[in-house]
Amino acid sequence: MDVVHPWLDPIEVRRMAERLLAPVQEQAVPLRDAGFGEQFVGYEPVASHPPQPVAVPQPITPSEPIVQPVAQAQMPEQKTEVRGPFLDRIARFRDWLRHHFQAVGVFLLDREGAVIFDESGHGKLHFLARSLAIASRRPGGMPGNVHVKVGASATLEVIPVDTPYGCLVLGAVVPAPLDPPAIAAVMDALRTVATPQQ
Amino acid sequence: MGKTTLSINLAHAFARAGVRTLLVDADPQGSVGLSLTRQSRLLAGFYDFLVDPGIPLDRLIVPTRLETFSLVASGQASDYEAGGGVGGSYLARVRAFLRAVSSRGFDLCIIDTAAGLFGVTGDVIASSDAVLIPQQAEPLGIRSVPKMLEGLNRLRVMNPRLTVLGVVLTMVQQDLAESLEAGQALRQLLPPDLVFRTAVPRDGLFVRASARGLPVGVLEEGAGAQAVFDALRVEIESKFESPGHRAQVHA
Repeated sequence: MDVVHPWLDPIEVRRMAERLLAPVQEQAVPLRDAGFGEQFVGYEPVASHPPQPVAVPQPITPSEPIVQPVAQAQMPEQKTEVRGPFLDRIARFRDWLRHHFQAVGVFLLDREGAVIFDESGHGKLHFLARSLAIASRRPGGMPGNVHVKVGASATLEVIPVDTPYGCLVLGAVVPAPLDPPAIAAVMDALRTVATPQQ
Repeated sequence: MGKTTLSINLAHAFARAGVRTLLVDADPQGSVGLSLTRQSRLLAGFYDFLVDPGIPLDRLIVPTRLETFSLVASGQASDYEAGGGVGGSYLARVRAFLRAVSSRGFDLCIIDTAAGLFGVTGDVIASSDAVLIPQQAEPLGIRSVPKMLEGLNRLRVMNPRLTVLGVVLTMVQQDLAESLEAGQALRQLLPPDLVFRTAVPRDGLFVRASARGLPVGVLEEGAGAQAVFDALRVEIESKFESPGHRAQVHA
């Protein structure tokens, strides 16, 4: 009697095993501005409930039309397109942000605070995003999204997102603060992009 | 025989070969300390450093009679970890610990972690140069291999420089068909480079050695068992690019 094979998918196991032997394609981006002391221990583990925005603009009253379809209708590409390496997917996500929200200077920090994707080239923005994410953390919870005005018509949005790789912090410079539905759409999109292929 | 016995005896094999080796007990319920030092529960250790990185590494290191072989116990704070009282990520502190180990002049740091790929174990793997996977030669354990592969693939995204040294079959029972079949099935499932040729047999000597608080190679009758770990050491060394490669290995 075969004591193992009936319980496994040998092709899938082989595929995963061979991935372990292959070099990881994406290169770690050199950390230009760590901004952390030795005492920094990473962000809190992810809460099971969705984070609440900390500094979103004006609350939306029921009578106001929500800016909606943008967010819902713009989610899409990740679900249908062929998935590629992590950084390729992040690059497509960056394009999506740029197209729909006029976002520039997009960057991504991992749970340790290291830069894993960056097109801003500004270590100060990374440092600012880390500080905001830490400051927005509530006891027992994960950091909430925050924004800060960084220019006459430029706002840095800092959006922590729970992913299978821990809490990633997205930073993006947008012309004006994003509204809650847009924030939710961005979080969903990043979570999808950062979820390994099933 | 599982990961703790493998960690102890492999570390001893490296130390005997002249490699300055530090064996770290990162399993709160593990027994590296209990196996090798009677007062291990009184010693400050790895988890105390995670709680307070200000503790000098020298206060944690326990020397042995073999000059090249030192230990770090799991420590007093490990009770909190075992009980779920310590939360959050310790990635930065694990990395700080390994930097301290490296600057202290050790060639190799072997970390015996708790089972699984989450919590502090995940942080250790995300900070290490290489990972070694002990796998008991029994059907139930081998059926869990896909989960382990999936988890390691995720951790390699966090730590692209992580080398997966491979799976070491342990507790192989030559007189038990199911044990042999499980081992053969694993070798058929995985690429040859991912399963060590050397397998560790189930042997009463390991129980006798741990009863006396010693690596098996120290026992008079332990030469045969020591040869197994020496062979494993040679296989591991061949997987590193250069013999003098300074490494942290998580087991």
